[in-house]
Amino acid sequence: MKKLSIFEVAWKSLLRKKTRSLLTIMGIAMAAWVLVSLFGFNRGYERSLNKDIDNLGFQMLVVAKGCPYEAATLMLKGGTGLKYMAEGIAKSVAAEPEVEGVTPMLMQVVFDPNKGESGGLAAFLGVDPLTFPKMKSALPFKAGGWFREPEAVEAVFGYEVAELEQREVGDLYLIPEKNVEVKVVGILERTGTQDDGTIFLPLKTVQKIFGVEQLTSIGIKVKKEADLKAFEDKMYKLPDVQVVSLTQVKTTIMTLVSTARVMVFSIALIAILIAMMGVVNTVLMSVMERRQEIGILKSMGAMAGDIFKLVWLETILLCLAGGLIGTGLALVTARLTDILVRRLLPYSPSGGLVAIDPGLVLMALGVVTAIGLASGIYPSWKAARMRPLDTIRSEVES
Amino acid sequence: MTKPSRILVLTAGLLLAGSAVLSLYAAVGCDLNDPDRDVKRLFPASTGYKTLYVSIAKKGGDGLLRQIEDRLGDKFTGLFETADVPYTMYEITQGPTLIGYIHGVNQKGTYGGLQAVLALDPKGVIKAFYFQKLTSKAAKAFRDPAFGAQFVGLSLEDFYKYDVVSGREDPPGPISRIKNPDPEAEKDFRAALRAAKKDLILVDEFLLGNAHLKYFKGQER
Repeated sequence: MKKLSIFEVAWKSLLRKKTRSLLTIMGIAMAAWVLVSLFGFNRGYERSLNKDIDNLGFQMLVVAKGCPYEAATLMLKGGTGLKYMAEGIAKSVAAEPEVEGVTPMLMQVVFDPNKGESGGLAAFLGVDPLTFPKMKSALPFKAGGWFREPEAVEAVFGYEVAELEQREVGDLYLIPEKNVEVKVVGILERTGTQDDGTIFLPLKTVQKIFGVEQLTSIGIKVKKEADLKAFEDKMYKLPDVQVVSLTQVKTTIMTLVSTARVMVFSIALIAILIAMMGVVNTVLMSVMERRQEIGILKSMGAMAGDIFKLVWLETILLCLAGGLIGTGLALVTARLTDILVRRLLPYSPSGGLVAIDPGLVLMALGVVTAIGLASGIYPSWKAARMRPLDTIRSEVES
Repeated sequence: MTKPSRILVLTAGLLLAGSAVLSLYAAVGCDLNDPDRDVKRLFPASTGYKTLYVSIAKKGGDGLLRQIEDRLGDKFTGLFETADVPYTMYEITQGPTLIGYIHGVNQKGTYGGLQAVLALDPKGVIKAFYFQKLTSKAAKAFRDPAFGAQFVGLSLEDFYKYDVVSGREDPPGPISRIKNPDPEAEKDFRAALRAAKKDLILVDEFLLGNAHLKYFKGQER
């Protein structure tokens, strides 16, 4: 006669009441699904947001006080109001211990009498070929690449301005007013940012063409471990500059996300508690229905510890099965969750919003197993302390 | 957070959020800068106009593109002269009567994009030609009304004899009589003629039911 292992006995016991076991497993699966999706969303959102901010190149912009730092604002002001700061500020900012890198910039605007019926403005951004491309490494090129020489009479066009000016790599462009020809060496892909409407030239070239030796802004990339708030305060102390920091935006968004996360985690916790109660209820019912069987097992020599292990194993099996199904569902529906969340949120970063990795799957399975262990204690203890004669007698009486 | 800080946060937030909005823009066409003003200036008797948005990709795809290139005598080239460029065409009316069309095209010039606009009568004859946008060392000369006036009275029938690649008309006719206002800007001059021919072909295709196709190599489609 084949000797059954405790695992096989537990498995057979669960199969005896298939529907009840299945419903319990599904309850746990739902809880695991919510848990994995939520943690995955939390990780994915933060990762994508960080990536979006990193892709902007610099988290902080130091601008001469009162100077418009966006081309759009500059246009609204009719190209006037440019304020300058000394190049030395870039060097002193770069020397700060929190700084990973800086890139100096100079924006200039000219009136183009042939743009439209009554003329229009054309803006040029002078950037440092050594630091800007490195900092904006995520900027994709449709054709060509960055200028390499610090004083090259070359330009890189944002997608929309290239489209408007019908420029391609190798073409010439005439800087209005200055009548200077520049060669187009790169066309950027459409990015959906103000870079699309920007004409980039080497900083030194812009300084030379426009006869300005100063800067209008400095882009700052701050070290990851740096205290951003403290650094920002330090920058505010620089004379005659204003600070535009994306750190504040990130912090604001992450605070909102954290608040929402606490609420949703509370819901997940309730779901887990309900699932736990379901498990306790199922296993306890199963124990009560099997009183006679447990009594016979005990009368045949099974020890209280064996009964405890048997019932506990049944509970863990239920929870593990539910956990596996739940994490599987979370993996399969991750894309759908991404789409739904994107529709619900007022702002969502580019890239995947739900990031489920093996570590998260293992963590979820661990949590579910822990739930199984915890919720199995009472029914197992109840089964283990049953007295054989009482259980057999109760069956006869009923 | 202080008030200036809040404004900065908001601005930076808008920069981020703006990316979603900006990404909705499609390829650039050539709209009139101020349609109400421009329509009234080009057609003083007009009482209204209808704006139509068309593209080669939507109407006939690659097949239509090839037919249009054939009629133009040149390939659509470059990153920005493609089948999916949206064209904005204006049908001008006086009461219930159609009195003309306005259409502008983008054309590559030596130093930047040219936007050449044609005003046409209902039969496709040019009533006015002007540059809405022009980047050229000879911009002043090209913007002179005398230059645009040389196109008045011409139609696609005349332009078919003009080869946009060689810049020659065989036999010499009305297109050869259009004078380049600045010999040093020959490339921009040819670009203006190519823009006019392309514009006329597109209007014929999208608005005139290919009424001028019979003059193209003497063939009916």
